Formats: sequence, structure tokens, C-alpha cells
Amino acid sequence: MRRREWMRQAALMAVGSRVVRLGAWLPEGGQLLVPMDDAQSDHLKAYGLTFGTLKMGLKAEWLLNYRGGSFLLPDVPELRKEAALAGVAVQGISDAELASVRSLILNSNMDSVPLEKAPRIAVYTPPDAAPWDDAVTLALNYAGIAYTAVYDDEVERGDLGKYDWLHLHHEDFTGQFNKFYLGYRDAPWFIQMVQTALQTAKKYNFPNVPALKKDVADRIRQFVTNGGFLFAMCGATETLDLALAAHDVDIAQPFSDGTPMDPDADRKMDWSRALAFRDAHLETSPYVSSMSDIDGHQVNDPARRQPLGTFTLFNFSAKFDPVASMLVQDHRSVINDFYGVTTSFTKATLKPADVVLAFEEGTPWVKYIHGDYGKGTWTYYGGHDPEDPEHAIGNPPTDLSLHKNSPGYRLILNNVLFPAAKRKPLKT
Amino acid sequence: MLLPAAARAQQSDTSAFYRALDAEGAGKYREAAALYRQALASPGDRVNAMLGLERAYAEIGSTDSVLAPVDSLIGLYPREPVYRTIQLRAYTMLARPDDARRSFDAWVKALPGTPDPYREYSRLLLERGQAAAADSIIQMAGTALGTTSSLQMELAQSRAALGQWEPSATAWRGALAAAPDLDQAAAFSLTPAPETARDGIRAIFLSLPVDVGARRALAELEMNWGAPNEAWSALRELPPDSGSVSAWLDFAQRAEADEEWPLVRDALVAALRWHYDPALALRAATAALNAGDPKSALALAPSAGLDSARAAATVLPLRVRALSTYGKPAEAQALVNAFAHVMSPLQRSALERSVALGWVRAGDLPRARAALDSAGADADSSDAAGWLALYEGNLAGARAILRNSTDASPALAETLGLITRMKEDSAADVGAAFLALARLDSARAADAFVAAAPRHPDATSAMLGLASQIQAARGDTAGAVALWSRILAQYADSPEAPGAELSWARTLRRAGDAAGAVKHLEHLILTYTESALVPQARRELELARRAIPGGGATGPGGR
Repeated sequence: MRRREWMRQAALMAVGSRVVRLGAWLPEGGQLLVPMDDAQSDHLKAYGLTFGTLKMGLKAEWLLNYRGGSFLLPDVPELRKEAALAGVAVQGISDAELASVRSLILNSNMDSVPLEKAPRIAVYTPPDAAPWDDAVTLALNYAGIAYTAVYDDEVERGDLGKYDWLHLHHEDFTGQFNKFYLGYRDAPWFIQMVQTALQTAKKYNFPNVPALKKDVADRIRQFVTNGGFLFAMCGATETLDLALAAHDVDIAQPFSDGTPMDPDADRKMDWSRALAFRDAHLETSPYVSSMSDIDGHQVNDPARRQPLGTFTLFNFSAKFDPVASMLVQDHRSVINDFYGVTTSFTKATLKPADVVLAFEEGTPWVKYIHGDYGKGTWTYYGGHDPEDPEHAIGNPPTDLSLHKNSPGYRLILNNVLFPAAKRKPLKT
Repeated sequence: MLLPAAARAQQSDTSAFYRALDAEGAGKYREAAALYRQALASPGDRVNAMLGLERAYAEIGSTDSVLAPVDSLIGLYPREPVYRTIQLRAYTMLARPDDARRSFDAWVKALPGTPDPYREYSRLLLERGQAAAADSIIQMAGTALGTTSSLQMELAQSRAALGQWEPSATAWRGALAAAPDLDQAAAFSLTPAPETARDGIRAIFLSLPVDVGARRALAELEMNWGAPNEAWSALRELPPDSGSVSAWLDFAQRAEADEEWPLVRDALVAALRWHYDPALALRAATAALNAGDPKSALALAPSAGLDSARAAATVLPLRVRALSTYGKPAEAQALVNAFAHVMSPLQRSALERSVALGWVRAGDLPRARAALDSAGADADSSDAAGWLALYEGNLAGARAILRNSTDASPALAETLGLITRMKEDSAADVGAAFLALARLDSARAADAFVAAAPRHPDATSAMLGLASQIQAARGDTAGAVALWSRILAQYADSPEAPGAELSWARTLRRAGDAAGAVKHLEHLILTYTESALVPQARRELELARRAIPGGGATGPGGR
């Protein structure tokens, strides 16, 4: 569901008291509680179960801050069956028990958000990429949430309008291939990646890959402007904003476009076009595997690399900040950090309106941020794989059946489900 | 006599060094540090004292204190690589990368043309997981020195860390030619290579000329990749010499630990061809017997010197077991009889039981019984007696004896599980089925269990389940599927039903019928909710749905 429609329906929801309204939301005759605290045996598949509920045309509720952000689903045989197959813990809940839960929610920093329609999901990923190449597709596959893979061809054809939610991972939208040229120029996968990108650029009459990727970035910005939900991780966060801000300036190194970077590029960046960042400084050396000072950890630059710590999720008011609350629902509030091409975001480069969802105590960077842009929203989550903190190229993929309760992966899946939520009017 | 002042000072400093060593050994690191500093004044001890000082400061968490003395020494002796290395190491440990880089640059400037600074710095970067940075340092060395031949190991490690598997293997090949003892390091660094890269690595290590170090590394790699046969293939072609023998013996030892008995046999036989050793021959014969190859065991086991107490404890049991297994229990009995005088009663009893099992295998139960009788009273409670009772259809006797067995094999557990479910005290048809299985006549055994199953209602499903396992192991998938289907249709409430369904689903998935597998797995999970097999079924379901990676999939993602 696009954000405009979401807002329209939110207005329709403004009638009636909360309890009465929520009571009417799910069919009478019993519900299934999907606990999301430590009683849950498979947190990740619980999101798939809830998503599947919406796909079946049924409604659900997200009980923010109640037992780790539990879900309430209709108690129908199909869902009990799916829960049993997936190994998701569910509890039948009587009307009296539910009334007690609702009373608790009403009187605590909790809230109930109706979930009404499964979002249409697109993942921006090369056509030949395995699902194991990025954390989001790993999570979606494991949870059993269907998505469509899109790449430059689909974006250039204008297909993004078909989707509600778009995910980006380790794409370098500056067109410099994450500067992997330095270490991987002879690797077959790298050669293949460069050739494919060059062919696509040629196909759409762009002089080089950086020009193609800037256009793709701009179309993604349009997607958000028009009401789309964008979720990005790893290097895509930083490079998307760099590509947008560098719309009229050459920031690419000669190995990617054949011309040197504009020596005055820093000054010429137009940050008003970027979603999350401002006033960042570009890395001008082609020999340093870093794009800018947006990333706090600089993992691929030995001279600047910062050690991993833990990050803490903000505790938002569920009733007044339901969106931010949804994005941080978790059964843990402190989570081990993990590296990526971009691991974190320096506070100095954040726009004032950015909402910080998770931060690392005592450091100049944050981990997880969110904001509005046009009619849509964006969310950036630094790092590559929450359960493989130092994942390196060529490492075997993460088997999520061994990390069923991963708090880091839960944050990804919060983003997948959040567009399904029906926004309620704020209390004033 | 008084020594000159300079000599006295030197003696004092030398004493300081040894006292520092003692203090360090006693764990008194602060005291050791003070003494090492004192010993720096002694020219003969200076380098070792500086290394000691580095260790002592590291122990008390004062690595930064090493910088001042080492800076002074570098000022005095700018060409000494040990001081340069200590300085580089200290900056790295202190997470001062800019200073480490300056230290490296200064070393290069002071000693242009030497690979030492490149080697030390790239090693330190590799240790800290900074492979790309290490790689760039090695590339700098190539430009500055005109070659990276003296940095092959570092090059190999950095390339492996970057996922450049074939360039890494090439560099390892070069490094192993100069230092064959790096085989374990090579194998360790290349083990994470994905399936798709392995043939390329194999080709590099197998290319001519044949090199023992490279082959040893490849064999180690293959073992790590779970491919023991390929590991042996890498070593088999080595020319017979002392280096090869050492490789074969090391391989045999590793294969023994993994119980890869055919490969142990082959490796030891190769070593025996170079130099015959009776102890090695006995080991090879034991491996052959464990591999189910009694013929080779008999050929390998020493046949001379049997007339001794030592032989009675080593070679004789092996030959008797081999003859019994090979279907020659009469010869085994003759051997026991011929050398009875060198055996203790306990040894003889054990060998008689082996002979009895030989007669069982030959299907001659009366002679098996006779052999057991001659093994003495203890034999009546032996495993052989228990099995014999079972084969004769004496279920009560078999239950009573086998229940007390110390054998922890799955075969015994499964057999006991089946016969304890039966209420009858005797069942000749069941005994015959087990006897066929013991004789390795699996087709007859499966048919016999299927035929016996309806006559024993308490264990019908167990017998069908056992028969299905035998069929599956024989590769008779159709036969196994027919039995799984029958168990699920007629004995859906039996303990064998979830196992049958899981086996069926696995077979379907491996045959590429994911939809068929999913159907069975869903049925299993939903029907047998309390079964211990449900977690396994869920994992199979995830594999069938491709919800999780399987088979070593990798991609270029990552930092």
C-alpha cells in the first residue's frame, strides 16, 4: 500500500474508541497471539506467518512493545497449520485474555497497530545474484516472504511504480563498484559485474556506469517522493545519497568513467537532493576503499577502521511515534554491531530531520536511521549481515535456520511489515 | 682478581639478562621489564633483551612503553630488522595505524631493496584481518623490488582472504616449493574456498612437476573439504621416497582418526612398498579388516613368528578374525588349535568367539554353537552367543544376552529395539532374516523381514522399517518407497511412520522432486507433532523450499 493511501485510510480510522475499533478489526471468535519475546521459537518466521496472513486477505495487529512486539492473528486452521510447519510459537487467546491484554496496552507505553495488506516488495539486486548475497533476501527467503528482484533494466523501464517497498543492499550508486577495483580487478565475478553494468549503460545511452547509476538513484528518489517505502543497508545507504547529491558533479574515479574526479566536487555537492545526509566530505583517493566520511567505521581502510561495539535501540512512545516504534520492535534492545561496506552513519552528516532509531553509546556515529521524503519514507540500516559481523567477500552464506531468534535480523523484517500498517491519527 | 671496569659492566648486564629471563619465567613481568631495560646496555644481549622487554610490557599491558627504547635503538641501529619489527608490531597492537604506516615507510626508506618491511607489515595486517591493505603492501613490494617471490606466503594469504582463490593457490604453490612445511598453513587458508573454486585450486596443486609439499597441502585441503578419496588421489602418485613415505604415513594417521579404513590401508600399503616394517604391516592389515577387506588383511598380516605370546595378542587375533570374516572358519579354527599353547584362556575364548561368528556367517549354526561351547563357560554370555541365539530364533536368549552387551553400535540398538517389541520367546523366521543380514545377503534379508512382518503384529512396522532401510542402502529406491508407503498407509500410528516419511521425503528431494518432498515433510510435521524428527523435518522443508542456503553456496556480497 502506498503511503498516500495509507494516510487516507488512517483518516477513516479516526472514529470510535481505540478498544472498540480494534475489537472490530479481527473476526470474533478467538485470536492467535504470536509472542515475540523469549517465548518465541522462531522470531524470523513469525514475520513470515504474519505476512502470509495478510496475503491470505486476513487482517492482523501488531502489538507494539507488548511481549517484544507480538502479533495478533485470526485463529483460523490455515494459520495454525502454517505456524506448526514453520515452528512458530503461537498461543490461542480467549476474548477475556485479549481484553486484559488490550487494557494493559491502553495503560502502558504500548499500542496496537492494524496490519491490513501485504506490501508488494521489490529487491534491487543483479539478475544473477543468489538470494544469499544480501541479508534482506536471506531473511525474506527464510521467512517465506515473496519478493520480486529488480535491477537497472526494470528501474529504467519505470517498473518501480508497481511496488510498495524497495530494498537496496550493497550496490554502489556512484558507479565505482564499491572501489573493489583495487582488490578484485582480476576476480571473475568482478569482471562480469563491470561488463554487465557497461552493457546496461550502453543500452540506455549513458556514457558510462556512474551516469547510469546516477539515473537509477534518481528514479529511486522519485519512487520515495511518490510515496514508496525505501529500505537500504550496507553500501547502498551512503552511495545512494552520494549519487543523488552528485547529480551535477563528477565524483567517480578514473577507473570507472575514464575521467578524474572533479577536484572541487566536495563544494559542488547538492545535498538538498539527498535523503538522509548532508555536508559529507568525499574520499578523493582512488586507492582508499572508502566513499566519504558518512561511514563511521571505515572498515575497508586500515588506517581509519574502527572496532565493532554494540548498538542500542531507542525506546519510542508507541502511541505518539508508532512508525519509529514499529521499526525498533525487538526482544533485545542492545545488539552486537556488524561491519559492512558502510557500517554506521556519522552524526555530523545526518540531516536535522533524520530520526535516529539505534545508536552506539559514546561514539560519533549511529546505526539505524529513518525519515520522510516527499510522500514516502526511507530507512537506512548500516552493515552487511547481522549474524556475520565481519563478513568478507567469498565467505559462506549465513544459514538463518541457525539464527532463528536473531535480534539484528528482526530489524530488517520490521521494515518489511511496517508498510502493511494502517496509520492511526496522533493524539493531540 | 679484579676485572677491568668495562668487563665488569658487561658481566653485570649479562647477568641482568638472565635474571630477566628468570623473572619472566616466574611471571614477575614488572621485575623482568626493569631487568631487560638494564640488559639493553649489553651489546651481546641487546636484541634478545629488546624482544624480552616487548614480551614483558605486553604482559602488563604497557606495550606503549616499548616505543621509547625501541625508537632509541632504531636511531642507533637503523638497519636492525628486529627493532623495526618490534616498533611496527607495537603500533599495530596499540591500534595506531597511521604510526604503523609511518614506521613501515621509514623502514623501507632506510633499507630499500629488502623484502623484510613488506613481509612484516603485510603479515601484521593479515593477522588483523586487513587483507586488502596487506595485498596493497605486497603489490608495493612487487613494484619496489621487481618481484614478490620472497613474499609468496603473504601474497597467498592475502589473496585467500580476498576470495581470490586461484591466485592464492598459485602463490601457495610457489611458497610450498621453498618451504614444504607450510602445507598446513596453505590448507587452512584455502579451506573456505567455495565449491566452484575448488577445481581450479586442485589443478594448480596437481600440475607438474609433482611436488610433495603441494600434494600434501592438497590432501589436507581435500580432507577438510570432506573428500578423503580425492585426498588420497593427490598423494597416490608421489614418487616413492622418504618425503613421500612421510606424507603417506601422516595421511594414514589422519584417515585412521576419521575411520576411513580403505584409505588407511592404501596409504600404509604404499609406505610398505618403500620400506617393509612388520608393525606397519600389522596396522595395514587391521585397516584392511576394518575396511571389510579380509583378503587383503590376510595378505598383509605377517605370517611368520606366530608362535609367541606376543603374536597371540597381536597377529593371531587379526588372522583369525580375517579368516572368519573371509568365510574360512575352518582355517581360523585350525589356527586357534595350532597356537593354543601360546594363548591365555581369555585370549583363546575371544578367538573361539570370532570363529563362532565365522561359522554364523557361513550359515553353519551347529558348528558355530560347537565353537562357542569350546570357548568356555564365559562364551555363553558373549555377544556371539547372543547373536547366535537370535539367528537360531531364540528371542528370549538373545534378549537376555544382548541387553547386557557393551557394544554401542546402532546395529545392536536397532536389533534390540525390534526384538524387545516382540512378545514371542522364539521366532525362527525373524532369526533367519537377521541371519541373512549377518551373511551380508541384503536382498534375502529384506525379503525375509517383509515376509515375517505380518506374522508378528507387535513388530510388523519395525520389520518393515528395517527392510526399507536395507532396500534404501542397497539402492533399491522403488523397493524402499513401496515399504515407506505401506508403513504410512497401514501403520501410520507406529513409531516407524515419521522415520519412513522423513526418509521418503529426503529421497524425493535428492531426486529433484522438491514438491513431493514438501508434501511429505508438511504431513510429517503436522501429523507427528511430538516426534523427535520434527526439527530435522523442518530443516529438510527449508532446504526443499530453498529457504536456506544448501551445498556451500557463496556470492560476492560483503565488505
